[in-house]
Amino acid sequence: MRRKRTTEDRVLDSLNYVALALIGLCTFYPFYYILILSFNQGTDTAFGGIYLWPRAFTLDNYTYIFNDGKWSSAFVVTLARTVVGAGLTVLFTCLVAYGLSQKGLLFSRFYFIFFIVAMNFSGGLITYYVLLKGLGLLNTFGVYVIPSMLNLFFLMVAISFFREIPAEIGESARIDGAKELQIFFTIILPVSLPLIATMALFMGAGQWNSWLDSAYFVQNDDLRTMSYRMIQIINQSMIPTDNASGQYAAMRQVTGFSVQVTAMVISVAPIVCVYPFLQKYFVKGIMLGSVKG
Amino acid sequence: MKPEAQPASERPRLSHGSSVWTTFKKQKAFQFFVLAGMLFLLVFSYGPMVGILMAFKDYRIVDGVGGIFTSEWIGMRHFKDFVTDYNFETLVKNTLILSFLKLFFSFPVPILFAIMLNEMRSQVFKRIVQTVSYLPHFISWVVVTGILYAFFSTDVGIINDMLMQLGIIDKPLDLLTDPNYFWGLAVASSIWKEAGWWTIIFLASIAGLDPSLYEAAEIDGATRLQRIRHVTVPGIKGSIIVVLILSLGNILGGGLVGSNFEQSFLLGNPLNSDTSQIVQTYAFNVGLAQGRFAFATAIDFIQSVIALTLILSSNYIAKKVSGSSLF
Repeated sequence: MRRKRTTEDRVLDSLNYVALALIGLCTFYPFYYILILSFNQGTDTAFGGIYLWPRAFTLDNYTYIFNDGKWSSAFVVTLARTVVGAGLTVLFTCLVAYGLSQKGLLFSRFYFIFFIVAMNFSGGLITYYVLLKGLGLLNTFGVYVIPSMLNLFFLMVAISFFREIPAEIGESARIDGAKELQIFFTIILPVSLPLIATMALFMGAGQWNSWLDSAYFVQNDDLRTMSYRMIQIINQSMIPTDNASGQYAAMRQVTGFSVQVTAMVISVAPIVCVYPFLQKYFVKGIMLGSVKG
Repeated sequence: MKPEAQPASERPRLSHGSSVWTTFKKQKAFQFFVLAGMLFLLVFSYGPMVGILMAFKDYRIVDGVGGIFTSEWIGMRHFKDFVTDYNFETLVKNTLILSFLKLFFSFPVPILFAIMLNEMRSQVFKRIVQTVSYLPHFISWVVVTGILYAFFSTDVGIINDMLMQLGIIDKPLDLLTDPNYFWGLAVASSIWKEAGWWTIIFLASIAGLDPSLYEAAEIDGATRLQRIRHVTVPGIKGSIIVVLILSLGNILGGGLVGSNFEQSFLLGNPLNSDTSQIVQTYAFNVGLAQGRFAFATAIDFIQSVIALTLILSSNYIAKKVSGSSLF
């Protein structure tokens, strides 16, 4: 029993199509643009005028990055911190949440106050730095993965998730004499896959994208991440200096800029690949976040 | 572990010491898990809070962690130094302007975008635009800075390139280094990165509206725009208010779209520092780059107190406004 479409409807629909198409394009094109530039010869890119596809197709930029010791080690470090960091956070946060989710837990009121204070008040970056220095974490791989092991936002999400799991699930194992840690690993975690997937995605993306720690908490060149290398190269080119592209001059058609866009593509690619599979969890995640956070 | 399933004698009774102990022993595995988390926070969250002491002391980094306690008390000197710092006015002004510009321009975008997506008839088109629009939320500010460089720089920027080709300008615009452009650049790029993501919340809110309201409005002869104005907007008013209050709680961090620190840090450079430098980045720079740890901690402390006050009051108001559930 739908009404006939009026002129107003048609005008609005067309405007809406155009506006949304433009928004979509504005979001999508920058990604596409750096992708085509990464497959174009750096020296050719410098002439400008590349908009839709590579003009002088090449794989040199990628070859350069994977053969350059600094970039390849940065890639390995970034990958390692993503896997180890996300894994540790998921395990530790879930374990603590599992403890806190128990009904009738003694002192739970005190625990919650303790966690909520930590969530809302911070000592700031400077004292945090002094702490890391005191703990001897500066300049180690640990500085990437240890301080982020407990995520307070996901702790709250996990607690409400675990409370939904029927208590009977653990009971029978407990009667058979299983230890709580064993129950956690063999029963609780496997039924919590949606939670784990969401956490792993957000923590993994956070680790993969993180840059401040690599720039300020490590000095060892072997521990630098992709983000750090990108910042370095962007800073060099943002304020042009004479020697900025010097190190690349010897390389065939590779320039500082072409290496930079290629690194950006490498840094965005995994996110684009995982993203479609995890999309269905976003809505749930953001809603929970807004309610609890 | 349901309390009601336990016999009365085993319920925690705080007046009776041995009973508490029995319960604790029964829960010892869980208590242990929680204590591990507490210990972690004690070190990594409460540790830095204790470190705030050095804001009131004559502390040097060479004194190590112990120096925080042993160094000499100097009262409010670092705070006075900051307030009388020749950068102080610029820093506070930049921080406030950036925060309010972001609130003003970025807050309405996700709402408008959600309404537009909701009005889209083609579900496929809607899904494509939506999927693309929240992708930037997952990439880092470093990559966004790289993208901005590729588009707006004077040497390789595609925008300058096109404008010159078209003869609109004769020489490239210093979009990335001219202080006049920094705020526009920061606000626009934060909208580009985060607006799509926040649309999710408003779309979900629109999806929760009763379809019969639209049918009734249609029967009463309401046009499309009237339906948006009188059904959709009032229907999601609650979410709008709550999200607004919560983003006011984080206003100094950049509100809904956040990232004041990242932007000032990554898009800021010596050439545009007149507008790009904000309190957060200043504290970070004088602390880590110049080694004035105690002074920087004093600035951090002022910020933490302001942030805490804003968050607590906004959470409180949000709860008052929305009742027990937010959506």
